[in-house]
Amino acid sequence: MSHHVHSAVDLWKIGASLLVLTIVTVAVAFVHIPFPYNIVVALAIACVKAYIVATYFMNLKWDEKFNALLLIAGILFVIIFFGITMLDTLTRGPEIIPSF
Amino acid sequence: MANISSTTRPAHLQHHFVDSDQQFDSAKLGMWVFLVTEILFFGGLFAAYVIYRSWYPELFLQASTQLNTLWGAINTAVLIGSSLTVAMAIRSAQTNNNRGVYLNLLITLSLALVFMVIKYFEYTHKFHLGIFPGGNFAPVGEAAEILTHPKANIFFSIYYMMTGLHGLHVIIGIGLMIWLAIKAKNNAFSAEYYTPVEIVGLYWHLVDIIWIFLFPLLYLID
Repeated sequence: MSHHVHSAVDLWKIGASLLVLTIVTVAVAFVHIPFPYNIVVALAIACVKAYIVATYFMNLKWDEKFNALLLIAGILFVIIFFGITMLDTLTRGPEIIPSF
Repeated sequence: MANISSTTRPAHLQHHFVDSDQQFDSAKLGMWVFLVTEILFFGGLFAAYVIYRSWYPELFLQASTQLNTLWGAINTAVLIGSSLTVAMAIRSAQTNNNRGVYLNLLITLSLALVFMVIKYFEYTHKFHLGIFPGGNFAPVGEAAEILTHPKANIFFSIYYMMTGLHGLHVIIGIGLMIWLAIKAKNNAFSAEYYTPVEIVGLYWHLVDIIWIFLFPLLYLID
């Protein structure tokens, strides 16, 4: 068995870094960065946090590379999904926006 | 390939696997495939969010004032803490410490319950203000004065669907933690076999990641 065993100290450091980033993202929201950069900053911090969780808590760094490939493929398909959907919804005239 | 006779095969090893490592890696692969379907499942709701935010940016500014940033931030910290304790439970299993698995799972379970209790108070507070999803949306008092946007119900439909589906995942996670805690109490795990802890851990971390995105998208719109 060659499973990666984290030291307890490392796990606490990962958890602490996620907490610090949470505080940063809340603090940044109160600074009122002008649109659209407020969304960019908030999502960038969320992506960094998600990356830390996937890499260290979910062990992708030491795992079979195929599992990381699956995650990347999933994200890629979400991007394609969003992209093609918004090609439609962003280019409609106002009269085609549904009533709901 | 090692020819392992039935007498030397460990009890946890299913007959169709060569060895524990193959069984462990197969289970993880299957879980990752499931997690990808989960990402796409939530992706549909995130798409609804993106579409409506791009159509009505002013609605999201107005309606998010009804969400309490402090409780959202506390819940984020609670989930991060629970991810940490799940990782600690896996570490305990890897070091043959079933008591550690049990205690860490109990802490995880408690944090998951704290999350749901906070969510319960957030929901009931909104219901009290008449902020229901979809066609039942009928804000009263101060909430009615703020939520003047004609599509205000859309924001809350998206809010309830996203946090509701996430909350359902937390409840399923609580059930899984109870199952694992009972197994750990019966010394079921060891460095050779802790697949269920690892698999549930992956699930729990994904639930955490989804909240990591939900929190800024719903609560932190300034």
